[in-house]
Amino acid sequence: MPNTVTLAGRRYAFGLNLFPATVKYFAGWILAAVVLAAIVPLIVSQWRSVDISAWYIAANAGKYLIAIIIGGFVHTLLPIMVAQGLTRREFATAMGIFGLLWSLFTGVIAIAGFLGERAYFSAMDWTQAVGQDDPGIVLRSVGEALDFAKLYPLSYVLYGTAGALLGAAIYRSDSGWLAILPVVPVTLAVDDAMSHAGAWGPSWLVQFTSVVTDSWGDWGAAAAAVAAIVIGAWVARRIIIDSPIRSKQA
Amino acid sequence: MSFSVSLRDVTLKYGDTEALSDVTLTLEAGKIHGLLGRNGAGKTTLLSLLAAFRRPTSGEVLVDGRPVWENVDVVSQVALVREGGDFDDTDTVKSSIETGELRPSFDLEYALKLAERFEVPLDKKVNQLSRGKRSVLAAICGLAARAQLTMFDEVHLGMDAPTRDAFYKELLDEYMDRPHTVILSTHLIDEVANYLEGVVIVDKGRIMRHEDVEAFQGMGATLTGPADAVDAVAAGLEVLAEQRLGGTKSVTVAAALGAAERERASAAGVEIGPVGLQDLFIHLTTPRPSPHPHPEPEKAKPSQSKDDRTGA
Repeated sequence: MPNTVTLAGRRYAFGLNLFPATVKYFAGWILAAVVLAAIVPLIVSQWRSVDISAWYIAANAGKYLIAIIIGGFVHTLLPIMVAQGLTRREFATAMGIFGLLWSLFTGVIAIAGFLGERAYFSAMDWTQAVGQDDPGIVLRSVGEALDFAKLYPLSYVLYGTAGALLGAAIYRSDSGWLAILPVVPVTLAVDDAMSHAGAWGPSWLVQFTSVVTDSWGDWGAAAAAVAAIVIGAWVARRIIIDSPIRSKQA
Repeated sequence: MSFSVSLRDVTLKYGDTEALSDVTLTLEAGKIHGLLGRNGAGKTTLLSLLAAFRRPTSGEVLVDGRPVWENVDVVSQVALVREGGDFDDTDTVKSSIETGELRPSFDLEYALKLAERFEVPLDKKVNQLSRGKRSVLAAICGLAARAQLTMFDEVHLGMDAPTRDAFYKELLDEYMDRPHTVILSTHLIDEVANYLEGVVIVDKGRIMRHEDVEAFQGMGATLTGPADAVDAVAAGLEVLAEQRLGGTKSVTVAAALGAAERERASAAGVEIGPVGLQDLFIHLTTPRPSPHPHPEPEKAKPSQSKDDRTGA
């Protein structure tokens, strides 16, 4: 953080600077995901035909990882930044900027991954199928892959918002983890609506999410996601602004 | 420009427990204030209110005459350094120091100079530092913040004696170069006594005393001389502490000596010195049987600000 930053601009500078620093920190993780998604099918193909998208698993695990990273940042950085003389409002704004950039960035990587895998699987004559059902939805062209993946950035923002809300709630109160009760089902349900293959996760968790949302269509699902993001971000901000800084343990 | 501090009828509750009860206190700008109190007295809670770490349950907290809560112009100039500091433990020392640049007043060059002087390795991660080095890092960040109100809450814990001494000297140098308001919360009272200009004693969530150091020192005396002579002068006075080495005795008494007593002591070869702040603190904060209650604070505070209220 250069010391030329003004008081009025530091919330934006902090949020913006946190983004490249986080990209740098997690670059190895992203690279590992890309490499694994490329190598594992190659290994599997030695014994059996490849008929599932490896990137689908990586991209969906990434949603949870986004939530954990942003939630962890909110939880960890709030006391540090308040101790550095930031107001909670400044911190909330900075985290909003960072969260949006980081989620969109990883979401774009997710789309690129699906398109790259489409080309890779096509060259290897493998089947790029997505979803947890067997058989999954087969992506037969670049257009189908793009259509399937197009809402991933929005989905990542949704999970990032959920993570921020949970991180703030858990910092705010010892019983803040109870926020998972509304946050997780809503997030999974909206994500389910956005994904043609349904929400991804343990079957006991995701099997209930498709009851309401299957018929929403892309635009309806996107609108629901935007609404959930706006409401979630507002609630997270309110929690952050109201949070006392915890005493340090001896 | 340094910041004054004002709490008006401030109460802070943790659940059903009152950590601070109806506290009213004014601290003058541009002075070094000591904040003393026994464990759990409410010192840290009071500091956390001044740094907007917490919001009071009731009452008003003003810094530089302005509400401190969510006030960017104020909190950017207020630094509360807690024991061990507030860092991301996985960050390097250098990165942790650089985080301080969120404050427009932060002096990175000074921070790095202090890190070198106190031998804090910049490339190590914070969680690899010893407790003492971590405390030093926190102190460095507090000093380099160049804030208008800087508060150190037991920041010396873990520092060895030479490091503490160097820290106090650096604090004083920085204060002399750039007058600002400093609040030192500590249990090592005698170590900091010489640096303090004002002292606040917190006890059971209330302000027990708030005086200039001179006023505290005038509340008692230390008598040193031949044992028999010292005993004679101290007879009838409340003794706070005593030490004996051979035939020489030193006694701390909780009473200001009058002219006649001073004359008598001098004639008997007894030297009279100021009372130790720590002895006085122990005396004031140690519960005693009801026939000898705590001194009535309001009556014994000639130099106390009108706004200050004691609740002891």
